[in-house]
Amino acid sequence: MIVVVGLSHKTSTLELREALAFSADQLAAALSRLREEAGAREAMILSTCNRVEIYARSDEGGAEAVARFLATYHGRQLEDLQPAVYRLDGADAVRHAFRVAASLDSMVLGEPQILGQVKHAYHAAEGAGTLGSALNALRNRSLAAAKRARTETGIGHNAVSVSYVAVELARKIFGQLRDKNVLLVGTGKMSSLAARHLVENGARAAVVGVRTMERAQELAATLGGRAVPFTSLRDELAATDIVISGTGAPGVVITRPDVEAARARGGRRKRPLFLIDIAVPRDIEPSVAQVEGVFLYDLDDLKSVADANLRERRKEAAAAEAIVEREVREFLDWQRSLDVVPLLVDLRKRAEEIRRAEIDKARSRLGSLSAEQEAALNAATSAIVNKLLHAPTVQIKEMARNGHSPEQVSLIRKLLGL
Amino acid sequence: MDSQLYLLFTLAFYAVGALHVVAHAFTRRRLLTTWTVTATLAGFAIHTASLAQRWTEAGHFPAVGLRDGTSLMAWTIVLVFLAAYLQTRVEALGLAVYPVAFGLVLVANFAPAPEIGGAILKSMFLPVHTTLAFLGYASLFLAFTMGLAYLVQERELKSKSPQRFYYFGPNLERCDTIGGASVAVGFGFLTLAIATGVLWSHGSKGRYWSWDAKELSAVIAWFIYVVLLAARLRDGWGGRRAALLGILGFTAVVFTFLWMTIFTAGAARASVGVP
Repeated sequence: MIVVVGLSHKTSTLELREALAFSADQLAAALSRLREEAGAREAMILSTCNRVEIYARSDEGGAEAVARFLATYHGRQLEDLQPAVYRLDGADAVRHAFRVAASLDSMVLGEPQILGQVKHAYHAAEGAGTLGSALNALRNRSLAAAKRARTETGIGHNAVSVSYVAVELARKIFGQLRDKNVLLVGTGKMSSLAARHLVENGARAAVVGVRTMERAQELAATLGGRAVPFTSLRDELAATDIVISGTGAPGVVITRPDVEAARARGGRRKRPLFLIDIAVPRDIEPSVAQVEGVFLYDLDDLKSVADANLRERRKEAAAAEAIVEREVREFLDWQRSLDVVPLLVDLRKRAEEIRRAEIDKARSRLGSLSAEQEAALNAATSAIVNKLLHAPTVQIKEMARNGHSPEQVSLIRKLLGL
Repeated sequence: MDSQLYLLFTLAFYAVGALHVVAHAFTRRRLLTTWTVTATLAGFAIHTASLAQRWTEAGHFPAVGLRDGTSLMAWTIVLVFLAAYLQTRVEALGLAVYPVAFGLVLVANFAPAPEIGGAILKSMFLPVHTTLAFLGYASLFLAFTMGLAYLVQERELKSKSPQRFYYFGPNLERCDTIGGASVAVGFGFLTLAIATGVLWSHGSKGRYWSWDAKELSAVIAWFIYVVLLAARLRDGWGGRRAALLGILGFTAVVFTFLWMTIFTAGAARASVGVP
């Protein structure tokens, strides 16, 4: 049975997750210990900043042992970790594994990193030799389902972080970002991140040094752009498409007359101007937004777009959940059909034994047979066996698909004398 | 099959496209699907057959009167849409084109057959002038659509809390570029249409110009587009103002078209001078 034991951003604090995390170099040893100490036949550990989870194949009640291992490995008492640690088994465990891979259980719905993290976790388990047929099947099917959910629905669409929202908006205004001029006023972390995204999309950056030129030159170098002194801010404005302003200045840095003058110069009236003000207090005079062709976004505006985008993703989540649910059902059906495989193999084997024994008896009574007669005898007996076994085989498979109980299987075994 | 039956099938196919695109606009997935495009292509093929059939039945170029006028207009709009869509892949075009094409074909289906006769139907100017004019109208309709898209998208961006159009609508740059290109193309056709119209008028009535409402609105539209193109080319105008002018220009065009199809539907008007 597949079990999932662990804790996530939904059940625990970051502090607790950090305490129970497995580092990459701990994984191999931890995985083998899981097998030895917690009775796991197969095991995988997924440890990211938003979740620490152990996926395992173990016997009935094995989840408890795995949970205890998670605590003792980190020198904790399991009782102290409650109620953060969840234990799932059977269908619930499978569903959870699928939903995690599809980023439906993520803190930021639809975030793309989780897929890679899950892949890495399975890869590590494979390297440690703790990945068997059950978890390997879970890996293949859950990753395939995750890809389907991502490509067939919009759960991964639209930016939900402030710096990517800036890029998305720039695209909505300019289309292509190639050869657009970005003017960075101030060298804050968030503004340089947004500028980096823009540059990666083909934009050219210029960095205005606000207090000193030194930081501006450094940042300009990493962005492949140039540094300009604060005194030429107004000149630069005339040749700029996108401004990202994030200085620590107490007052307004870019005024409405600045913008109007810049747009009147150099025939730039036609092209839009996109101003991003991520400073608190704000750098750009708010009434600039009323100038024709100017789009001004402050930090709150960017957040409001990010929220709207997240709402869009949530709408798509229902469709993604439906895809995942279908895939989970298929996986469970397939898994259940595996349960009766030993029964079917035994049934076949028993029938074949009886057939061989009866042929031997017949041969001793009939004396030597020609090759033709031998073949006819074999064909006739095989046909009887196959025809007799056909209906039970089909029925047992059908039963497995519809969800069977262990009692049913043992009853069949008893009836057939296996 | 006669042309009316063809037209009914066309209506059905365009209805699929129109319903699809509107439904998708509300559910916010991709606007156009393979289904929509396939239905359009099938509809367009049957529509073409319908026009060919109608041409044979009528014995003249099917562009006169409400029924033929709307049908040919819808056909030209879909043609221009397909060309623009294949070139740009802007799906939001469909949002305006499908309902309009559907509406026009609907009118064509229920409008009475025209009772027009006379020498003008035999004139070589009829196919030449109307084809040029309709291609112009369709291109300018595209510009109108892109102008609207620009204004809506700009409002979405300025509002800071995006609604539906933000997600499926084209970006401002595209609206502006496609709008500008369609105006240029449409203006070219419109100019040629007016020129052939003047020649035709001279040929049939002996006068180059008669100052009726249709001619006047055509010239007003033409001047609006002259201003728009000049502003774009000379002063680097674009964006909001260009979008607004494109919309204004098209309003004049619509008036011209309505005048031509509705008020010239009767034989009396027709004899005075079609397009």
